[in-house]
This record gives sequence, structure tokens and C-alpha cells, in this order.
Amino acid sequence: MDNAIETVGLVKRYGARRALDGLTLAVPRFAVLGLIGPNGAGKTTWMMSVAGFLHLSAGSVNLLGEGPFSPAVHCGRVTILPQDSELPLESRPLELLAHYGLLQGLTRREAASSAAAMLEEVHLGDRFNSPIRSLSHGMRKRVMIAQCFIGFPELVLLDEPLSGLDPRELAHMRTFLTRRRGRQTLVISSHNLHDIEVMCDHVAFIENGRTVRAATLEEVVGKSRTLVYHVTAEPADYGALARAVPDSTLTFDVAASALVCRYDPHCATAEEVNAKLLPALLLQCGIRTVTRGASLEAEYLKNL
Amino acid sequence: MNELRQMWRVACYEWFDALRSRRALVVLLLYLAAAVCNMHWSINLLHKLENELATVLQLPQSERAGVVSTALWKSKPFQSMMKQMTQNDLVLQDITGKHPVELIYAWFAFFYTPLLVVLVAGNRIAEDIGSGAVRYVIFRTSRASWSLGKFMGQTLMIGLALLLSGAGAYAVAKCRLAGSGTPDLFLNMVQWSARAWVYSIPYLGLAMGLSHLTRSASKATIMGIIAIAACFVLSILSRHFASDIGWRAGLPYLNVLLPDDHKMCLWRNAAAPLVTGSTYLITLGFCYLLAGYAIFRRRDV
Repeated sequence: MDNAIETVGLVKRYGARRALDGLTLAVPRFAVLGLIGPNGAGKTTWMMSVAGFLHLSAGSVNLLGEGPFSPAVHCGRVTILPQDSELPLESRPLELLAHYGLLQGLTRREAASSAAAMLEEVHLGDRFNSPIRSLSHGMRKRVMIAQCFIGFPELVLLDEPLSGLDPRELAHMRTFLTRRRGRQTLVISSHNLHDIEVMCDHVAFIENGRTVRAATLEEVVGKSRTLVYHVTAEPADYGALARAVPDSTLTFDVAASALVCRYDPHCATAEEVNAKLLPALLLQCGIRTVTRGASLEAEYLKNL
Repeated sequence: MNELRQMWRVACYEWFDALRSRRALVVLLLYLAAAVCNMHWSINLLHKLENELATVLQLPQSERAGVVSTALWKSKPFQSMMKQMTQNDLVLQDITGKHPVELIYAWFAFFYTPLLVVLVAGNRIAEDIGSGAVRYVIFRTSRASWSLGKFMGQTLMIGLALLLSGAGAYAVAKCRLAGSGTPDLFLNMVQWSARAWVYSIPYLGLAMGLSHLTRSASKATIMGIIAIAACFVLSILSRHFASDIGWRAGLPYLNVLLPDDHKMCLWRNAAAPLVTGSTYLITLGFCYLLAGYAIFRRRDV
């Protein structure tokens, strides 16, 4: 598959410490990849290295098939929302975003209209000309997100894009980002696994500067081949359950008090498996919820 | 071509942004006020001297300053005194050919411009590196375009400050000094602003070059002030200790690398020294800036 980002063996040293320790990761084109890992795992360092902010100690980066980041080649095609970076405080959102658009090579008219459209999109239509200084943290964050999408770049790197947003804006931004799926390549770093699960179709677990696992979300959580029953008590007769769904594998997750049923999607659909298993299970215990696929959190914790 | 366009866009935005920055605006207004006050006080002093001179000579005292000074300035004894002082006919011609108001303003502009530069522009790059604002720009344009654009924007800002201060000083002189409201004088004041502007470029390059080396805005300002003070001290010391023998013979070469050595060229009327001095100063400005940029280029941001 054609990759938007290919990083091989990235090493970034800060003195004796290695923030990236041979990190290898490929992001397919048009994927929305969630970058997951504990604090200090190397997610931000990886993004900053990909965007050319950091000079690598070793390794190679290939962006959009045209080598490492270079403004001459990637200007306007790659954008980033860096973590902990303030926008110029005296600037006004509309003119700042239009300025960024001009730098990306848009015409004056295109830059102005794209800036206005993006600000409207992030619900800042009434704050076009307010100084950044006067905006709240959440509003500034939305300006930062808006600047990433000016001129429809091919690849967008977002480091903690949803932190600091109120619940309504959070939901809106999730939808906004989800709508990009299949049209642009997005890499989203976040500690909120629910957000990642909702927005992304690929995930990568990073720890100690290395990729622990990188796969599609489907492969990781198995939505099309797993049913999870959160039960009130562990079933006593597994034989009866196994007879109800003979082609499936049943395991019990004690910590989550959940019965996990893995089935072959080529043999039966989730509805068919559920129709057979549910009556048998109800004879033995109560059921709180039934979900398709494991939770990303559970899979992530399993991989650590 | 694209790089130049990007640089120009960064410069224009930097100029507008600097104009909006409260701190830069305050410094700019203070500089304008200082130029106006300097002119006002100098005219007061001139008037006082004229009145004392008139008392000694038992002449009627004038109500406006400048009447006696203009006559004195053009008198032969004064010119011969100046000739003895300067020991150079060309410099004498250049100095005595100028209106006293021009000299007062020129002295002010040349003396205080380095300080203005450090206070207005000394921290602009460090501020953006420290806050992370630079990260929103350098994936859209090269680091070189960003640095040079910031430099050009601040150059425009200093140019505006000097132009305003020149106009302010002219307005005060026009109101208070006899025979100084001519359009020629105004044009000459603009010319002096332009000369001081050229003189500001190496200091701007020095302050902004140093600004690449730190993430702290206040540290950048302090580094700029120390560097500019060091330039003055080195210039004085190298002139003082210069000699034809030993290591001291190399001191004049060190002086060539300091802006102060080329300042007198800007006081001349003739085109040759003016162009040479300006070229040296502008080149020095870019060299200082690029030295800082060379380190920034390899830095993580």
C-alpha cells in the first residue's frame, strides 16, 4: 500500500537519553492513525521529527514519497498542530490564518476564503478579528486546529488536538476530524483512547521510543470478529455455551467480568452468533452490555 | 523567487505584528518623544547661549532662538576655529554646510539608534522560538526565509521609528527656531533618518543574530545590550591601542568588523564615502544575522 509517512529506525538522543530508539512506523495514505503511548513514549518527538523541527540522530523519514520534510517540497501539503506551541498573541485569527495560507502558496483570495471557512468550521466565526491574546485556551486550540486544514493539505499531524476543549466542541471536533477520513491522511496523538477509537482507522502503540504494535483498528479491536458480553457473574457451564456456538472461541476476562466470543466472520455474522449465544448465556447469568469488538483500552493495556 | 516572496510576506506580517505589539509601540513612541524633547532642550540651550552672547556683546536679545547661531555658524572666525578642530577641509565643509538642527538630530539618532534596535527587535526571534510560534511557520517556509523576513520586518519598523522621530524633531525646530521651517530642512532631516536607518542595520543584525541563540526573550534583550555595549568598548579600545608594531597592528582590522568604524562615512556629503560606508554597514548587518542563523539552522525548535 502507498504510504504517506515512512519512518525507519528513527533515533533521537538528548544526551544519554533516547527519546526515539529505532522507531519504525508507516502510515498508509488516507489513513487516520491514532498514536497511543504513555507520557514520554516518543509520540511528540516522532511528530516533531517528521515535521522537520528536530534533527534526528539516526534513521530516515519519507513523507509523501518525496524524502524527508523540506518546505520547498512539502509546503502546503503537510501541516502540523504542535503541542505546547502558542500562536502569536497580538495576531488576529483571520489574518493570521490568511497569512499562513499565503505562505503555503495560496492566492490572496484563496487564503482569505480558506481562513474564513476554517474558522467558521471550528465555530470561531464571531472571533475573526479578536486578538489571540483575548481568546480562551479552548478557542486558541480551535484556531490551532483550523490552521492545519488551510488549503486542504495531504497530510496533517495533530498532537493532542482535543485537549482543553469543552464537551460540545469536543464532540464537534471529533466529527470534524472523522469527516476527513479517506480524504486526507491524519495522524492524531492522544491519551484519550475513546477519541482515538471514534476517529481513527489505524492505531500505533508506542513505548520507550519504539513501535510496539501498528495495525488497523479493526485488527486491534476486532469489531467484525469479536463479541464481548459484560456479565454479572462468570458462567458455570462453558460446555453449554460452546455447544451453542461450536465454531467460536470463548474466553472469560476476569478483570472486566466479560465473556469474549471470537468467531469467524466468514462463517457467521455477529447477529447470528449473538442469536445463538445470548439465550444460552442468559440461562447462567445476567448480562449488562453486549459490544462488538474489544475496547481499545483493553487491547492497549494488553500490549504493554 | 518563491523564497524571496515568502521572505517578503514574513517581513510584511512581522512589520504589522510589531506595530501592534504594545511593547514595540511604547518603545517607538518613547523614541519619538525623546527625539522631540532632545530637540526642544537643545534649542533651549542654544537660546540661552545666544542670550548670554548678546548680553556680553551688549546687543538686544532675540525672542526666538537661532538668529545669532545662524550668523555665527556662517561667520569666518567660527569656520576657521572648526577647521583647526577637524583638520580636514572635506569634513569641515560637510559639517558647517549643515543646519544646526540637522546636527542636533543626527547626533541624537546616531547615538540612540542602537538602543532602540535592541529594545524593539532584540527579542523578536527568541520570543517566537520560546513560545513555539515559529513552529507554525517553518513548515510553511524555510528557516532562512523566516529569519530574513523577521529581520526585514524589523528593519522596516526601525525605519518608521526614525522617520517619525525626524519629522517630530523637525516640527519642534520649525516652531521654535528662527529660519528652520524650510522644506529643504525637512528633506535633510528625512535624509538623516535614512542615514541613521542604515547605521541601525548592523546593530539590528547583531541583536537578531543573537536572538537566534536563546528561547528566552529577556535573555535575548540582555545579550543584545551587552553585545552592543561590547561593540562600542571594543571600538574605542582598538582605536586607542592601535599601533604599527606587533599585534596592535591588527587592531584596525578588528575595527573594520565593528559598525562604529563606518559611522563617520554616513556624516559625509560625498557619494563615495556614503555608498562605501552604507555597503559596509549593511553587509555587517547581514553577516551578524547569518552567523546567528547558521546556529539556528542546526537547532531543534
